[in-house]
Amino acid sequence: MSGAIGAVGASRQFTKFVLRMRETGVLVFLAILGIAFSLLTSTFFTVQNITAVASSAAILAIAACAQAIVLLTRNLDVSVGSMMGFAAYLTADFAATHPGISPIVLVFIPMGIGLVLGTINGLLVAYGKVQALIATLGTMSLYRGLIYIYAHGQEVTSSRLPHWLLGFIDARISGIPVLVMLAVGIVVVVSLFLQYFPLGRRIYAVGSNPVASFFFGLRSERIVLLAYMLCGLLCGVAGFLYAVRVGTVTVVLASGWEMSSLAAAVIGGVSVAGGSGTVIGAALGAVVLATIDNGLVLLNVSEFWRMFIQGAAIVAAVAADAMIASSIGGAFYARRPR
Amino acid sequence: MSMRTRTAIPTWELVLCVLIVAAGVWSSKLSPYYLSIDQIFESTRHFIIPGLLALGLAMVVSTGEIDISLASIVAVGTVALSKLAAAGFSIYVAAPIVIVIGALCGTLNGVLVARYGLPSLAVTLGTMGAYRGLAFIVGSEVGYTDFDDSFLWIGSEKLFGDIVPISFCVFVTAAIGVWLLMHRTFFGRHCFSIGLNPDASWFAGVEVVKVKIRTYALAGALAGIAALVWVGQYGSARGDNADGSILFVVTAVVLGGMDINGGRGTISGVVLSLLLLGTIRNGMGLANFGGPTQTVVLGVLLVGGVLRPALAATLARLRRHTSDKQAGA
Amino acid sequence: MLGDIALSPEQNCKIPILSLDGICKSFGPVRALEDITFDVFPGRVHGLVGENGAGKSTLVKIITGLEQADAGRVLLSGEAVRFHTPIEARAHGIVAVYQDPKLFPHLSVAENIALGAYPTLPFGVINRKRMYGTAKVLLERLGSEVDPQALVAGLSVAEHQFVEIARALSSDVKILILDEPTSALTPAEAERLFRVVRTLRDHGTAVILITHRLEEIEAMSDDISVIRDRRHVATKDAKSVDRASLVQMMVGRPLETLFTRRDQPTFGKEVLRVENLSLTGVFDNVSFSVRAGEVVGMGGLVGAGRSEIAQTLFGITPPTSGRVWLNDHEIHPHNPRQMLDLGLAYLPEDRDRDGLIMPETITHNITLPILRRLSHWCFVDRSQERVLAEDASKSYRALTPTVEQIVSALSGGNRQKVAFAKWLATNPVTLILDEPTHGIDIGSKAQVHEMVAQLASRGLAVLLISSDLPELLAMSDRILVIAEGTLVTEFLKNDATQEKVMMAAAQQTRRVRR
Repeated sequence: MSGAIGAVGASRQFTKFVLRMRETGVLVFLAILGIAFSLLTSTFFTVQNITAVASSAAILAIAACAQAIVLLTRNLDVSVGSMMGFAAYLTADFAATHPGISPIVLVFIPMGIGLVLGTINGLLVAYGKVQALIATLGTMSLYRGLIYIYAHGQEVTSSRLPHWLLGFIDARISGIPVLVMLAVGIVVVVSLFLQYFPLGRRIYAVGSNPVASFFFGLRSERIVLLAYMLCGLLCGVAGFLYAVRVGTVTVVLASGWEMSSLAAAVIGGVSVAGGSGTVIGAALGAVVLATIDNGLVLLNVSEFWRMFIQGAAIVAAVAADAMIASSIGGAFYARRPR
Repeated sequence: MSMRTRTAIPTWELVLCVLIVAAGVWSSKLSPYYLSIDQIFESTRHFIIPGLLALGLAMVVSTGEIDISLASIVAVGTVALSKLAAAGFSIYVAAPIVIVIGALCGTLNGVLVARYGLPSLAVTLGTMGAYRGLAFIVGSEVGYTDFDDSFLWIGSEKLFGDIVPISFCVFVTAAIGVWLLMHRTFFGRHCFSIGLNPDASWFAGVEVVKVKIRTYALAGALAGIAALVWVGQYGSARGDNADGSILFVVTAVVLGGMDINGGRGTISGVVLSLLLLGTIRNGMGLANFGGPTQTVVLGVLLVGGVLRPALAATLARLRRHTSDKQAGA
Repeated sequence: MLGDIALSPEQNCKIPILSLDGICKSFGPVRALEDITFDVFPGRVHGLVGENGAGKSTLVKIITGLEQADAGRVLLSGEAVRFHTPIEARAHGIVAVYQDPKLFPHLSVAENIALGAYPTLPFGVINRKRMYGTAKVLLERLGSEVDPQALVAGLSVAEHQFVEIARALSSDVKILILDEPTSALTPAEAERLFRVVRTLRDHGTAVILITHRLEEIEAMSDDISVIRDRRHVATKDAKSVDRASLVQMMVGRPLETLFTRRDQPTFGKEVLRVENLSLTGVFDNVSFSVRAGEVVGMGGLVGAGRSEIAQTLFGITPPTSGRVWLNDHEIHPHNPRQMLDLGLAYLPEDRDRDGLIMPETITHNITLPILRRLSHWCFVDRSQERVLAEDASKSYRALTPTVEQIVSALSGGNRQKVAFAKWLATNPVTLILDEPTHGIDIGSKAQVHEMVAQLASRGLAVLLISSDLPELLAMSDRILVIAEGTLVTEFLKNDATQEKVMMAAAQQTRRVRR
């Protein structure tokens, strides 16, 4: 009798430990990477380089955060890159043609565009009952194609963007880039929303157990739609920041970011099976990817290794996730062997 | 209550046929050259490579899984072929090796998905990047173009009085093979039953893991054949070969009536949707629509293709509502 | 119908809080409920009984707004209501607790309880302190020591059940529906639960209790409604019915005439022998044998491990230890394909999920396990397939015009016949039947019994798992009783009575937690 209780208690502690381990695991991995690169190169562990890594991780962290929200509901968004590109190009074009626009208004344009694009995705997935991959694969090409048509092969060069915008992106407050602070702020706000507000918790609930959501009477459709809207909004912001950072806005801006954002989120411990993981983890995953990128450049390794490592890391993270899920055991993960 | 039996007439295939004719008529209005035999066979070139991938994907989708790494496997195949060609192997040695490499890439996907029960979408998204990275690492950025003529034969020569391209014959053979496999053999029946209900299939003695791995391996092998056709058609091998074509492939499979959740659909539907997409693409090419416009059309078709059941259900509901009201009144 | 209700004086002075008036529901061609009419009173426990598949669960879904009735009304305190989601029902004080708990594994216990109505601070921030506090109080009321901050993923099944009940109690509950709440609980835990239920009742809550265990109905209920074959049979005051009349109402006719008697059977040699079969944490040291022509019954409570034993023998989950012989050859079950080839077939308990592929035709279902055999050079011989399916369909009297019919359009009884035909097409020497009459109508039930008797007389070794005691007693030549994963006792046909089997099944041997 006491043995049974002891076993249950132990398994509970183990569950807690494993789930907490996921973020700490990412941190440990990050530390190992940092140490390895510091030993292998003399330039990695410098203030300048670390700041560069943080800056390049910042925008990816926002995109990963966006992807994570959708993943939590047991869905997926592969139109992230297209939404970023769409919002970025339209906003940059607008800023270029309306030089006198007030900063406050300008900020809301990409957010609004992202929100609309995200809503389309959400409606397709939640109410159209289209599988998330197919729906967003479709809108991925749709959004990208529309921006191609709109642009007529033109690009918006940095010289046409307002100067304050370019100044803002490179600004630093006591040595820390504003961009990084902004990204940290966004991730923290989203994290607080997901952890401390009823709606945020319901996003977790829907992905955690759709059957239970049905029996409980949660409005899964609305919640999934909301997740996609949030994702679109964040992608709008990320796309805008990315556009300003690279300066020259082309129609292919941020293509391939759906992969990177997904890789970052999954590496950061967000489960593709829904309900598990945090946006902080996703942001850490973005830092891991940025660190690997930076390290490979410093080591003079071909950039193509990055593609390979990113892909392999997704597979490894998914496998680790499945292993964790089955080792936690409990009634929910009981899975029939085949 | 009418008895529900299997529909004898494949309605969706008929719709596709009508659409193909409509698209053909539209295309022939755009260009007087459209209806020449040469031009029609020329246009088939555009969809043979994604077509081979779509046949493979259709098999994987029938079991309820997905493989979006197929386009990357093509790149692995072309790069492997370039290395073999550079090493002086003849096409007769190199071609089977490339097909086997494709099958092995597919098998890896299959093992990860079926044996270890990982979500197929995430796994193949990962291997999509990994395989393409591998292709880039193995080949170089500049690519390889010094292929011997024997390597180009499959994509450049024509048969039957110099009319029918060999690549088209390859596609037709593959399509017939896959159709027979999926609709006439027990393997195909096992695939569809797994797609409808993996648990019940396993209880009925269907070896779910093995069947799934085999579909992935076959899809990979078809991607290997697609790699041969690629080199034959374009004479070059580079890490970015077939990049982005997965959209076309998934669209063809979904528009062809394959249920993305598995268990339903026909290979003939997939072939018809390939013809439709090929005709539309060709027509848009003749009408000088740019690539981006074509991409938009593809995206709309893809979403439309999946929304089809939802739309049908909504229509049925509306119809029931109105008939209820009539009955009530 | 109303004439059946024996109104006691105290009932007379109360108005029903919930009235069901002529509820009907169909799923496609399959009728799920027909004309269900009864009242539920505040401060009373209303027992709802009926055999598996009688329609109880559908009724619960209609009351809580998960399903919409095709016809009929639900009246709450005399007013017609129609809920579209369980949230609306909960707002009106109707909460259901289901047999298999529906919780969110990645959220904490307290969050699972609070999910419907989080206590909040200003700006809508969740008041965690209060959330944990409320959860703790609720759980303590149930005598559960679960930590409100623990994640649900690590809890045992019994703890899940208590969390779900705590969730039900967290709102202002006027009507509490308990659907098989004790199937995963030990008797002590069940008693704890029922103490809480009694307290609730005494405070004026109406409770609808659905359970298979008639003793629980007898111990708890004030009123009893019986549903049989989707129809409402009677609603009675619990004091006015005894168990025999209750059972008779449930099964519809006196027990004696229920089953086809088997002739004096002759047994052949031993076909299946199992020695010390164990699966860690599920069952332990199970040994038995089945002879040709013999029907061996396997009784026990739901969740005792019977299906798991059968599935292990069928290769679904390989055993951790133990030996199995089939036709004198030792075998190591690890895969259903292998077991089907060796001549062992298993009719799964969950027919619609594991036994059949619902959206497929009858033909395709019947021939799925033997497709390989029907193929030449991998190509399926479709004419032979059709002939086989039509023969099977005829001999099992599945009343359908064509074997091209989709299985999901068939009634439960006909589905089961298709499932039988499917497994028998493999020509097994041993057949394991897991709840073969689960959820099918009386007529088909008799046909299934006849079929089992015929198969045994043809020389098949049959292992029959059934929770239906009269069926088990009537069909079996020997009865094995499984309790908590161990084989506790064995009865010969003539020694067994319902009481003896029930007593053996209910005994506590040791704790097997799943």
